[in-house]
Amino acid sequence: MNCGAPLDAALLADYWIGALGNEEEAAVEEHVFACEECSARLAEIVELAGGVHDLAHSGSLLMVVSGDFLKQAEKNGLRVRQYAPPVGGSVQCTVTAEDDLLVGRLAANLSKAKQVDLSLCDLQGVEQVRLRDIPFAPEGDGVVWQQSITFAKAAPTSSVVARLLDVDASGGESLIGEYTFHHTRTLPGPGAW
Amino acid sequence: MLIVIELSDEEIVVRIGAGKDPDAEAEFCRRMGPRIRLYGLRHLRDQQAADDLMQQVLMTTLLALRECRLRETEKLASFVLGTCRMMVLDQRRNVRRREQLMEAWGADLPPTVIFATPRLDQDNLARCVQSLKERERAVVILTFYDEEAGPDAARMLGVTEANVRVIRHRALHQLRECMGVRR
Repeated sequence: MNCGAPLDAALLADYWIGALGNEEEAAVEEHVFACEECSARLAEIVELAGGVHDLAHSGSLLMVVSGDFLKQAEKNGLRVRQYAPPVGGSVQCTVTAEDDLLVGRLAANLSKAKQVDLSLCDLQGVEQVRLRDIPFAPEGDGVVWQQSITFAKAAPTSSVVARLLDVDASGGESLIGEYTFHHTRTLPGPGAW
Repeated sequence: MLIVIELSDEEIVVRIGAGKDPDAEAEFCRRMGPRIRLYGLRHLRDQQAADDLMQQVLMTTLLALRECRLRETEKLASFVLGTCRMMVLDQRRNVRRREQLMEAWGADLPPTVIFATPRLDQDNLARCVQSLKERERAVVILTFYDEEAGPDAARMLGVTEANVRVIRHRALHQLRECMGVRR
């Protein structure tokens, strides 16, 4: 059955998260109830939303998150392990079997930054991973970096240097802050990637 | 085995009203059940409550169709949606009525109201989410982890909520494309 005026998936996602006004929401519902194709698309969006929710809940993503996200995670029963080394300093850290999320709080003044990259390096300064153009609030007090809990639980004793870099339009970089995490493996087994 | 028959909404209304017609009733439930359930999930945010709503709305509307109480036969979808809205509004007051309906009609509901939703490939989804740009990933994750996260995402990105909506739409299309969804 083909729909003559299919509803866009993004509009259906807005409907699903309650981001539409009353009239628009009512119009979407009228359409979905009368249309097999669009109701199937809505079902797919709901499935996708549930999958993303589960993924976020699993703590397995390497990404930058917000303080409110962590509050919501704790409200949802997750155990969040956090470390906050000083700028230019280091912190001893670990992860246990009971931890669900692992985050590093990177304090920084980002008020003048246009684009910020997060570079994860080894102790020799060799970059391992880079998160480009990360989200940040210019008036905020820094960045909350979530390490993949799956990765961290598998990791051997090791160190990571996180660097916040201000990237200008020509690609030039300047260091905003550097933070070192000395991870000691406390879980059984040698740990391996 | 479920046999899907091609009937218009009007034909379904007419055939159910004309007398015992298990095929038309089964098609009615197959067609409307998932839509009612989605409505329930959206408004009740609870799988069990959505399943209950689906059962109640199907029973109520099926009874009305059997008794030829839907005069404008082309308005089946609106009729079912209206019943959903009414039932969600009256949910708490209707506990006793629902129990009576379940007793009277529960066993009579066609056995085709089983909905298999396609299961996501979670590994593929993780790969696709990780492949998004950082800002897009943040918006998608914040949005679907906490559906009231619009202002939080805007603060985190230092942009307006309208901008967050644009980023969310773009990210969702990329995510679906990466997942191989064509429609």
